[in-house]
Amino acid sequence: MEDILKPVGEKVLQAAQAKGVAAEAFLLHEKELSIEVINGQVETLKQAGEMGLGVRIINNGRLGFAYSSDLSDQAVQETVNDAIKISAYTDSDEFNIFPTAAASYPKMNIIDNDISQMTLEEKIEMAREVEHIARAYDKRVSIIERSGYDDNEYTALIMNTNGLYACERGNSCGLYIFLVAEENADAQNGFSMMINKKIKDLNPSLVGKEAGYRAVRSLQARKIKSARIPCILEPYVTTRFMGLLAQMVDAESVQKGKSMFAGKVGDPVAASVFNLVDDATYKDGIGSFPFDGEGVPARRNVIIKNGILQGFLYDTYSAQKDGQQSTANAVRGSFRSLPYIGTTNFIIEPGHANPEQMIGDLEKGFYITEVMGMHTANPISGDFSVGAAGIMIENGEMTYPVRGVTIAGNLGSFFQDIETVGNDLRFYGGRAAPTVRLKSLSIAGE
Amino acid sequence: MLNKRTLARVLDEALKKGGDFAEIYIEEKQGNNIFCEDNRIEKINSGREKGAGIRVVKDGNTAYVYTNDLSSRGLCEAAAIANHAAGSKTNRQPEEIAFSLKQPTFNIECKRLPNEVAFDEKIKHVLAANRAARNLSDEIRQVTVAIGDMNKKVQIANSDGELAEEERCRVRMIVNTVAAREGIIQTGYESAGGVCGWELLDKVSFEDLAEKAADLSIKMLSARSAPAGRMPVVMSSSAGGTMVHEACGHGLEADLVQKGLSVYKHKKGQQVAADGVSVIDDATIDGKYGSFCFDDEGNYGQRTVLINKGELQQYMYDRLTASKDGTKSTGNGRRESYQEKPITRMSNTFIVPGNDDPEEVIKSTKAGLLVKKMGGGQVNTTNGDFVFDVQEGYIIEDGEIKYPVRGATLTGNGPEVLRNIDRVGNDLGFSIGVCGKDGQGVPVSDAQPTIRIRELTVGGTLMGDSPQVKRIRRK
Repeated sequence: MEDILKPVGEKVLQAAQAKGVAAEAFLLHEKELSIEVINGQVETLKQAGEMGLGVRIINNGRLGFAYSSDLSDQAVQETVNDAIKISAYTDSDEFNIFPTAAASYPKMNIIDNDISQMTLEEKIEMAREVEHIARAYDKRVSIIERSGYDDNEYTALIMNTNGLYACERGNSCGLYIFLVAEENADAQNGFSMMINKKIKDLNPSLVGKEAGYRAVRSLQARKIKSARIPCILEPYVTTRFMGLLAQMVDAESVQKGKSMFAGKVGDPVAASVFNLVDDATYKDGIGSFPFDGEGVPARRNVIIKNGILQGFLYDTYSAQKDGQQSTANAVRGSFRSLPYIGTTNFIIEPGHANPEQMIGDLEKGFYITEVMGMHTANPISGDFSVGAAGIMIENGEMTYPVRGVTIAGNLGSFFQDIETVGNDLRFYGGRAAPTVRLKSLSIAGE
Repeated sequence: MLNKRTLARVLDEALKKGGDFAEIYIEEKQGNNIFCEDNRIEKINSGREKGAGIRVVKDGNTAYVYTNDLSSRGLCEAAAIANHAAGSKTNRQPEEIAFSLKQPTFNIECKRLPNEVAFDEKIKHVLAANRAARNLSDEIRQVTVAIGDMNKKVQIANSDGELAEEERCRVRMIVNTVAAREGIIQTGYESAGGVCGWELLDKVSFEDLAEKAADLSIKMLSARSAPAGRMPVVMSSSAGGTMVHEACGHGLEADLVQKGLSVYKHKKGQQVAADGVSVIDDATIDGKYGSFCFDDEGNYGQRTVLINKGELQQYMYDRLTASKDGTKSTGNGRRESYQEKPITRMSNTFIVPGNDDPEEVIKSTKAGLLVKKMGGGQVNTTNGDFVFDVQEGYIIEDGEIKYPVRGATLTGNGPEVLRNIDRVGNDLGFSIGVCGKDGQGVPVSDAQPTIRIRELTVGGTLMGDSPQVKRIRRK
């Protein structure tokens, strides 16, 4: 694939240099396969491939961007011209620069040849097994909403007029299931997913069972009275909160005054048991790649250590503005948009506590298994108020399921209130968290 | 766009070894985005893209292939993959498909095409909006203004000989403001947009929108914390229809109903809402953000009465779900792009206005929460549970609007809320958004009159004054 993408990138740089502007070409080729199974039948099978080009231009400090899915010579020339035209309208900014050529990139094993070698029929069989196991888990599992197998393969190439050149190919695969369990007119959802770098690590049985377990345990949920009690967050719930955390440690948000962490480097922002890293080199991590969306070499970044804020996540622009190095956190969703700051493998590091013991220690508490409306939380003020469901803990035991409550508070005290971190790190895509216990949270019920 | 001969060839290839139905969807789009933050034009993004999606349906199951190679050879290759993936094995007699071009039932007018309006002019409006928001107060710390436009041409042809073509222009504008005072930070948000060209500027002033957003963020600085507990909630028409879209609309999408994932399954003909409540999905409203003449399967967009005076009348269907139920598509088959298969989606969804005077609805409320602006929301369609964020809320006491509150969320259950609506105003307010489902985002609008819900759970940071709470505090 590199031999197809590279000449296009060279044409971009030549066209830009002929006009006397600095440029970067980002080329992406993607292949995807998705299989959705219902009742053992392949309900949807999708296979596709696409290629595209995104061009960034810096013209006397002014940034221009244009993209195209057409890679013909004429379209490439037009895309460069559009990007230059656009640069006339943006404001000049001395911090707009492209990264310089990297001395080297970390060596990573991010391609699993078994993924492309496994037959379509074998992949369909795995998806069927997920569904079969889930249905067999409990007779109350009544509806399979979606169940399936996905894989993708991508080649990313970045080159710029500073002489930077980076190209790499990666792939990944996954299984997922969304289902419903029903009992006495009550219906509850359950899901599970497993995304892996290696296809031999996919475990259909685990995925099927977990989804069944999640749905069944929530059946016949009650409502509870408002209370302020200790809470334990399932790893999945914590990864939902990490979406907000990602925004709060994004240098652009910080520079623009959109993060409550602004000006707090060196300060305690979380409990001392709390450690947060972003690591693009994490072995077999779904977010692992040798370079970021601007071609900067991947690295491991410690963001919060023993509760103390160490620094933020930077791309080249925001780093230049703060007099820092890029942390290689420029990400690109596709060739259609500019790179932006994002996380790679974003991890709350596990502690030593046994999750069962964390529950067993509580006389009364709430085990949170689901949060709804997380996007309504405010990363600037830190205020959040989200819908939640979970299981009551009484005398160290999980007792009855609860739904229809709201948990509310401020993220500032939320992270300070973490008193115990479990030893059970669990990945959900590029985010990972162990079980955590909070001193208390305000729960609004009836 | 392709000629009929090529379309026929591709579809023939797609059904070569059998299959019940084949379709090709071709899309060519050109779009621009301008983004202003920190008082400067920070990003402009412009791009063009074309691609095709080919679908083969066999026994209700779908094989979908997309490509951005629109050459006749590239498309036939994609069609062959789709046909193979559909698992068809029997050779079929080739038959020439005779296409008839569907005539549009109405024209969505676009006077000023996105590409015919210069960047200079668009930027002028963006900067004016930025200034208007900042001029309102020194407490406004940040303003972001984003405008986007898109021109999309689609061509849809299928093995039934249907051929539809449509050109859709869409423009929108979003303002976000951040206000700060003594460590308190609040945000404001306003948006406008439609299926139209930049003549939208004749109807909507971006400066007014920006001022409204800024005003809201400032107002919320002095808001008190929202109370928690069960209380009557008046939702003003200015709140838009987020609630009806999320808490009701999704549950009426036939794919969710058929999979048993909707609280409204098996409820046709039953009373599912209060007498005064009727809900309609209408793709044919002029210029609204979710409007279209043809849906993304080439079916006519239409006005569908979903709930009539509280009684469930109809679900929303696309082609596949309709054939499963032995009925016709309601023109609700939509997709984000050529990369996705069409699924059942809403267009413009609203609660029909009633007879009550909105001011009188507030006056007749002894105590409760008035919601003037909604934030985001999420719903579990299986059981109807939802949670919504309130952007702008006020406490009502003795029929009067007393003071603003912040941080409130509404937690409840869709069917329960619809049954508990006891007042329906004679006004109607729209909001726009991009609705996400199965990973696909499509533009929609939604609306409602001022309504009152007898009782709803309001979550907030302030604990209620109930005995239980006191007991816990003493502990």
